[in-house]
Amino acid sequence: MIQQRLPTGTPIPLPDATLCVDGLSISYGAAKVVRDVTLRIAPGEAYGLIGESGSGKSTIAFSVMGYLNGGTASAGRITIAGHDILTLPDRKLRRLRGPVVSMVFQDPMNALNPSIRVGEQIAEGIRYHTGAGKAEAEARAIELIDQVKLPEPEDIVRRYPHQLSGGQQQRIVIAMALALEPALLILDEPTTGLDVTTEATILDLITEIKQRSNVALLFISHNLGVVARMCDRVGVLYAGDLIEEGPTAEVLQRPSHPYTRGLISAVPSIAGELEMVGIPGSLPDLTEVPKGCIFRARCSIAIAACGEAPVPMETVRPGHASRCLRWRDCLAELNPPQAAAVRAPLDGEKRLEIDSVIRSFPGARRLPFLKPRPAVQALRGVSLDIRAGETLAVVGESGSGKSTLGRLVAGLDRPAGGTIRFEGRDVTALSRERTVDDQRAVQFIFQNPHSALNPHHTVEEIVGRPLRLYLGLQGTELRRRIVEILRAVRLGERYMTRAPHELSGGEKQRVCIARAFAAEPRLVVCDEPTSALDISVQAAILQELQTLQRESAHRTAYMFITHDLGVVRQIADRVAVMYLGEIVELGATRDIFSRPQHPYTEALLAAVPELRPTRASRMRLQGVVPRPTNPPSGCSFHTRCPRLKGDICSQKAPPTRSKASGHAMRCHHDINTLKALQSAELENRTEPARP
Amino acid sequence: MQNASASASSQIPPLRRYRLRPVDLVLGPVILVVFLMLLVPGWIAPGSPTEFDPMASLIPPGGDYLLGTDEFGRDVYTRIVHGARPTLIVAFAGAVVGVILGTLTGMLAGYAGGRVDETLMRFMDALMSFPTLILATLIVVMLGSNPVNVVAALAVVFWPRSARIVRAVAMDVARRAFIEAAWVRGESHLFILFRELLPSVMNVAVIDLSLRITYATMLSASLSYLGVGVHPPTPAWGLMVKEGQQFIQFASWLVVVPCTTIAIVAVTCVLLGERLRELLAPAHRGEQ
Amino acid sequence: MTEMIIRRVGLLALILFAVSFMTFMIVNVLPGDVAAVVLGDGASPEQVHLLREKLGLNEPVLTRFVSWLGDMLRGDFGVSLLYGQPIKPMLATRLYNSLVLAFLALVLSVPVAILLGTVTAMKRGSWIDRIISSLTAVTFALPEFVKGLALILVFGIWLEVLPGSSLIEAGRHPLSQPLILVLPVLTVAIGMQPYFVQITRAGMIEAFRSDYVRTAVLKGLPPHVVALKHALRNGVLPAVAVIGMTLGNALGGLVVVETVFSYPGIGQLMVSAISARDVPIIQSTVMIVAAAYAVGNLLADIVSIALNPRLRY
Repeated sequence: MIQQRLPTGTPIPLPDATLCVDGLSISYGAAKVVRDVTLRIAPGEAYGLIGESGSGKSTIAFSVMGYLNGGTASAGRITIAGHDILTLPDRKLRRLRGPVVSMVFQDPMNALNPSIRVGEQIAEGIRYHTGAGKAEAEARAIELIDQVKLPEPEDIVRRYPHQLSGGQQQRIVIAMALALEPALLILDEPTTGLDVTTEATILDLITEIKQRSNVALLFISHNLGVVARMCDRVGVLYAGDLIEEGPTAEVLQRPSHPYTRGLISAVPSIAGELEMVGIPGSLPDLTEVPKGCIFRARCSIAIAACGEAPVPMETVRPGHASRCLRWRDCLAELNPPQAAAVRAPLDGEKRLEIDSVIRSFPGARRLPFLKPRPAVQALRGVSLDIRAGETLAVVGESGSGKSTLGRLVAGLDRPAGGTIRFEGRDVTALSRERTVDDQRAVQFIFQNPHSALNPHHTVEEIVGRPLRLYLGLQGTELRRRIVEILRAVRLGERYMTRAPHELSGGEKQRVCIARAFAAEPRLVVCDEPTSALDISVQAAILQELQTLQRESAHRTAYMFITHDLGVVRQIADRVAVMYLGEIVELGATRDIFSRPQHPYTEALLAAVPELRPTRASRMRLQGVVPRPTNPPSGCSFHTRCPRLKGDICSQKAPPTRSKASGHAMRCHHDINTLKALQSAELENRTEPARP
Repeated sequence: MQNASASASSQIPPLRRYRLRPVDLVLGPVILVVFLMLLVPGWIAPGSPTEFDPMASLIPPGGDYLLGTDEFGRDVYTRIVHGARPTLIVAFAGAVVGVILGTLTGMLAGYAGGRVDETLMRFMDALMSFPTLILATLIVVMLGSNPVNVVAALAVVFWPRSARIVRAVAMDVARRAFIEAAWVRGESHLFILFRELLPSVMNVAVIDLSLRITYATMLSASLSYLGVGVHPPTPAWGLMVKEGQQFIQFASWLVVVPCTTIAIVAVTCVLLGERLRELLAPAHRGEQ
Repeated sequence: MTEMIIRRVGLLALILFAVSFMTFMIVNVLPGDVAAVVLGDGASPEQVHLLREKLGLNEPVLTRFVSWLGDMLRGDFGVSLLYGQPIKPMLATRLYNSLVLAFLALVLSVPVAILLGTVTAMKRGSWIDRIISSLTAVTFALPEFVKGLALILVFGIWLEVLPGSSLIEAGRHPLSQPLILVLPVLTVAIGMQPYFVQITRAGMIEAFRSDYVRTAVLKGLPPHVVALKHALRNGVLPAVAVIGMTLGNALGGLVVVETVFSYPGIGQLMVSAISARDVPIIQSTVMIVAAAYAVGNLLADIVSIALNPRLRY
């Protein structure tokens, strides 16, 4: 689908393009959130729109549906299969939604009506648009549910959304979008919020749909790996400007805009050869858009000319354009990413020892004379230790119990069995019951910085609180120390009087880190500290955490809870992989990321959509995660394990195997068998990683 | 993506967000008059609200008597002015006491959760299983008909209702990470309740108070209409309506005047409450 | 679902017990002495003492509570001090009359409130919304007797189209004189209105803002299908949940409305008992109203469970 371009970057109209967006500008009140965006999608083509929050990517997606929701399209045209979307009256626009263009949403849980059966939610659109009868529409709905690979479609049609898992709900939404065979399918972050193994199967489904029909795909995502896997061409959005566009492989491998480059270097990769780097600065105010390049304030190679006039799209090669005056210097002048430092296990003294910790949450009582509902078994005998100065990553999908583990260590919760020892002392208690020194020594950094700061306190009060509480500092001494700590997380003195709502997400998380480090901790539990942040900010925060650890006088250890294997690769010395409340594999980072692994670890790694195609396993997990109220017998992974050995897996708990010192995994296969199984699959694979 | 700016605007201090609106020009004077009636009733209505004058019985409004006289020849205007205190102070005090109790209870229940929450809220539920007016009446009748007992009754009526609203907010706030952060730090429960939680439930409590004052005015008027908590010849507005109702056929002003006064005060309360809500918790209208 | 309903019914029994206990305690344990309340301020200590004997007030409180509760469960509500007659037959007709009033008001109120709530939610910020919302806010703030008397003045006295008093002759059914019911029913219905409208409006606004309504719009469904099929179903759930509470408050409001219109319902019985200091009647009427309130809440709970698939399964 490579097109010829005029020198200005305006594409020659493709006569048969499914979607044409021409010079589209959208504003909400004074904020000009999308400016002069032009793009084309041909039938059968998948076009990825990449951007961080505030880039305007979702706004574009919804405006293509003709749904501006309070915004106004101040300029431009959107044409889908010859229909001019923005000028159509409502009645005619309605006729297009479904048969011509349809959409798959982020967050399927909320996108489905909770009180209507899913079959009806698919069928009603069919009836309305085609005039089909009730039975006919329902038959078609069953057919569609079958097409999106849900088991027992006749049963599924009668279910309500809350009776389905997140991945199943998204399949229903996809079935709904495909119901009338639209010419254009918009996917707005279709896998954000889903677990990585579920994401992989949903992406497989979308790939298959693309291969068997001629539908054009507009794929919106913040995840470069997902776009790299799914799309033929990509457009990169920054603050409402389309700043680069071209064939996926070319844009991602030879980015010709400083922002694209920055974004790519910020992505943590499970291959882990390169160090990730954040982009300094933050999004500009879109109520007063600067005259020149929108990225100029954050760009390290900007020149005077960049701020003088609007920058046109410059052709890099046919079909590849960049909105940068200096795109030629991009590769030369920007520092190439450095090789990542190799992290290895340390042999300091043991800071934290967790021994066979159990935690279950009792089920709600039903009636006084009936048994209560079964308890949720969040942790089923977890043991690990963390040494001084070390970073241990705890990885797992939702429901694995990784967050519960972190909360137990921090004293937010109490285990039902087992012990937690800190520096040899038993701290198996709520933080309130621990000694002041232990309270001070163990700090916690929360997932969502927006809720971790009291909106009614200033930064000075927030960061100063541990200093008053633990060190009894006051007056000028307190102030001096607060400034010092704020500087250490790269926030200046001027932040002292700010309230949380005056800070960006990244700045808030820096304040949280400052608060944790004000206590001079010896162990910090980080619970997904960057999952609520943009990629470019995430990289900077992770660097910050590593610097603080390196420079800390107490050889601070991190317990780093995350679902992102790329992040693990970048910052962890050792990794614990959790599944259904148990550690299935534990070892040095390099041992976890190299074969052979526990089948679950293997599946997790195989599911990660990577920026650069790799020779990885294509293993997929089928079925749903078993309920934590009733974990499977034997090996808890046996219900989904693609490397099932036999009946033994469901009958006996697996033994512990070790492939290197400090490494342990629980599997009935021995190491050599696993190795053979895993290499065999890689050799048998004929198709390339990217479709 | 527009959410960030919307939620930020709710954090701007209320006073800085204040903008004069046309409705304020009506509200202002009414509030001023009500305050004068409460503070210096003798100054704006110098006559006696209780003295009989058989010669001036049932004179229609206009002329010497601005709002007419009742069957005993008492000036209705004077009685209305002097009736503000027995009607409104009781209502205000009852609402304040009730909301303070409710806020403390709700905060504690929402923060503590578990058994404490369960026990407190079941008790509140039991109190709430009486319709408001019935419970208030019962309490006043049994404790004895006097204004202090009316305040107590109103407080008991509003206590569980306030507690429920504050509890809902407190539960929500208590689940936020900044409360957990305080936990991890090892802060005392008192510190968490009053320094971390209270500022966040304050807005809701104040809005709730404005609503309760409206409701208390209505309830206190209803009680005095039923003859509960006040005795003749106190010029409480509800009691005036009750006494005037027998003359409704030919001296309707005896009903119309106090009813209208109650209506004006009630509507003022509502509007005031709405303005307050705009300032404290602006709904993110039209920003999405 | 059955489990939840059984649980609610069990809770109802518990609430009724709590209510009877509290009623009894308020009457018997608070500083006011029942005998003194009954006899009024002018009574001599001897009279008070005699009455205490007669009412059995000298026995321990808990013993009296148990026997009172036992009597009530057997349908014996005691004897009125004022009339010297058993209370039960009085209660039965009065309660029936009150229920007729409350039920008619509810039937009138709910559909109108859902309509108004939906309209204001759909036209949020428009003049229709502002007018309806201000009107409901104002009616919310007005005491029942002000609304009732305003209706009497307008329809009973100035226009002379409806009776201003709603006395029912002994032995007649309230529905045999439909005209006298109009104003009281209207007053109660108007009183129920604001809360319903506000809850429905809030629920509908929430529903219209939801992602699933956006999905329905982007499926190309016409606005009326989106509103009635997708938004309404979820939007009215909160309103249904408070029907019971509103009904209870209306029952409380009945005390005033019945007094305004001299309607022979349970509320009026209670008010006259209060002025006559007839403690047994006060106790019984409070119990009955609280019980009706609790049952109303239970019914509303069951309806909202039935309407909400998330609770049903």
